[in-house]
Amino acid sequence: MITTESILCSKTHEYVSKNEDDSYTIGLTDYAIEQLGDIVFLELPEVGANFNKGDVFATVESVKAASEIYMPISGTVTEVNENVVNSPEILNDNPYESGWLVKVDFTGDSVEMDDLMDYKDYTEEVK
Amino acid sequence: MTKQTLLHDKQVEFGAKMVDFAGWHMPVQFKSIIEEHKNVRENVGLFDVSHMGEVFVSGKDSLKFLNKIVPQDISKLYNSKAVYCQLTNENGGLVDDLIIYKLEDNKYFLIVNASRIDEDVNWFVRNSIGYDVYIDNQSHNYSLLAVQGPKADALLRKIGYNLNQDFFTIEKAVLNDIETMVSRTGYTGEDGYEILIKNKDAVKMWDLLLDAGKQFSIMPVGLGARDTLRLEAALHLYGNDLNETTTPVEAGLSWSVPKDKTEDYNGKETIMSQLKNGTDKKLIGLKMLSRAVPRHEYEIYYNGEKIGNVTSGGYAPTLNENIALGYIKNLQNLVVGSTIQIMIREKLYDAQIVKKPFVKKHNSNKEK
Repeated sequence: MITTESILCSKTHEYVSKNEDDSYTIGLTDYAIEQLGDIVFLELPEVGANFNKGDVFATVESVKAASEIYMPISGTVTEVNENVVNSPEILNDNPYESGWLVKVDFTGDSVEMDDLMDYKDYTEEVK
Repeated sequence: MTKQTLLHDKQVEFGAKMVDFAGWHMPVQFKSIIEEHKNVRENVGLFDVSHMGEVFVSGKDSLKFLNKIVPQDISKLYNSKAVYCQLTNENGGLVDDLIIYKLEDNKYFLIVNASRIDEDVNWFVRNSIGYDVYIDNQSHNYSLLAVQGPKADALLRKIGYNLNQDFFTIEKAVLNDIETMVSRTGYTGEDGYEILIKNKDAVKMWDLLLDAGKQFSIMPVGLGARDTLRLEAALHLYGNDLNETTTPVEAGLSWSVPKDKTEDYNGKETIMSQLKNGTDKKLIGLKMLSRAVPRHEYEIYYNGEKIGNVTSGGYAPTLNENIALGYIKNLQNLVVGSTIQIMIREKLYDAQIVKKPFVKKHNSNKEK
């Protein structure tokens, strides 16, 4: 289960959470969702797509504007959350448990994790 | 420096998320744009629109002067009557769009866009040479509150309002000891009022309306929902849908331009010719056929050719669809029902040309 305890966050407001099978789940932090407001559309990548850390891999549209979402780590997409594509408002309700975006197999170097923050440091950072 | 309305702190206290808009620090939303939007369609919403400009025009040449700067026929106004107008330049392009109210003979009141106050006042002054008029920009002395929605009328009656006011008129009224000018106008497509007060009464009036509005489920509304509401009603936003290169005819505002006005006005030749011969571009309404969201400046395509740009677009909460206004080349075969494409993040998405407004208006109006 993904909670604020289990995640690492990027400065660009994505989170990663390590799963039992060593894959990673990626999503947007509750702070990001709060800033975006009502979410109305999500564009997610296809399964199998490869991204480097920092690549734009998805787009989120709130009532206000379209925003790009960046890869917090390098990875190959293994699963896409179709529920949030069909009902983007899920992100407003719960960006962690049901509102995750994609799962990836990590393809990068472990130093990629160095600039990710735990939730406590992240909330300090965005204050 | 960013300006603040007298209600800035009140709104922050109420949980407003603030943004900079046209030089003002304004609330974009309180809790949720969608909730605020729906509450205006179903109940009533309270908007601080004190950033808007208020200009008084007086003097014995007032009528002649106003008739020179707008295509509308100001001589048709009776006392208290208002008309939606455009401030046209020599080419028929728009310096601004505005509402002109006749208060009495030789005394008119203008509400102009916040982003255009300085340009407008300069324009008035430049155009007033040779006219006996006094242009009095009072924007900094007045606050403006909009009360919009099907329960707006009941709310005003609860705080002591007792006039039967036609749409697009303005009346003086004293509400709970506060002197006001009440205009039955708005920017949402719903019935409602805009209440003009002196700055010193802004907070008092805000509190009064929110308190009395509780039984009508009132909510304060930010600029986010103000934009989605006006877009659904296909009301133009200056700077997006209107600018100095778009004429009223191109903008779909021909209904507001009299064909029989005898006085000359800025841009009349172009506008009259366009009314007769048509235009090269036109403003259309469109809805997306997929879930992608069209936004300001996205390109519009037809048969692989770029034919225009979206000027305002977004999610329409009432319809649960994505809609837009945009200018396209005036091609004969592009009519309501035609399919066109919008370029969104380097992909083309189908959209359909639809009738405006997108949502039926609920104010008994022929004006706007």
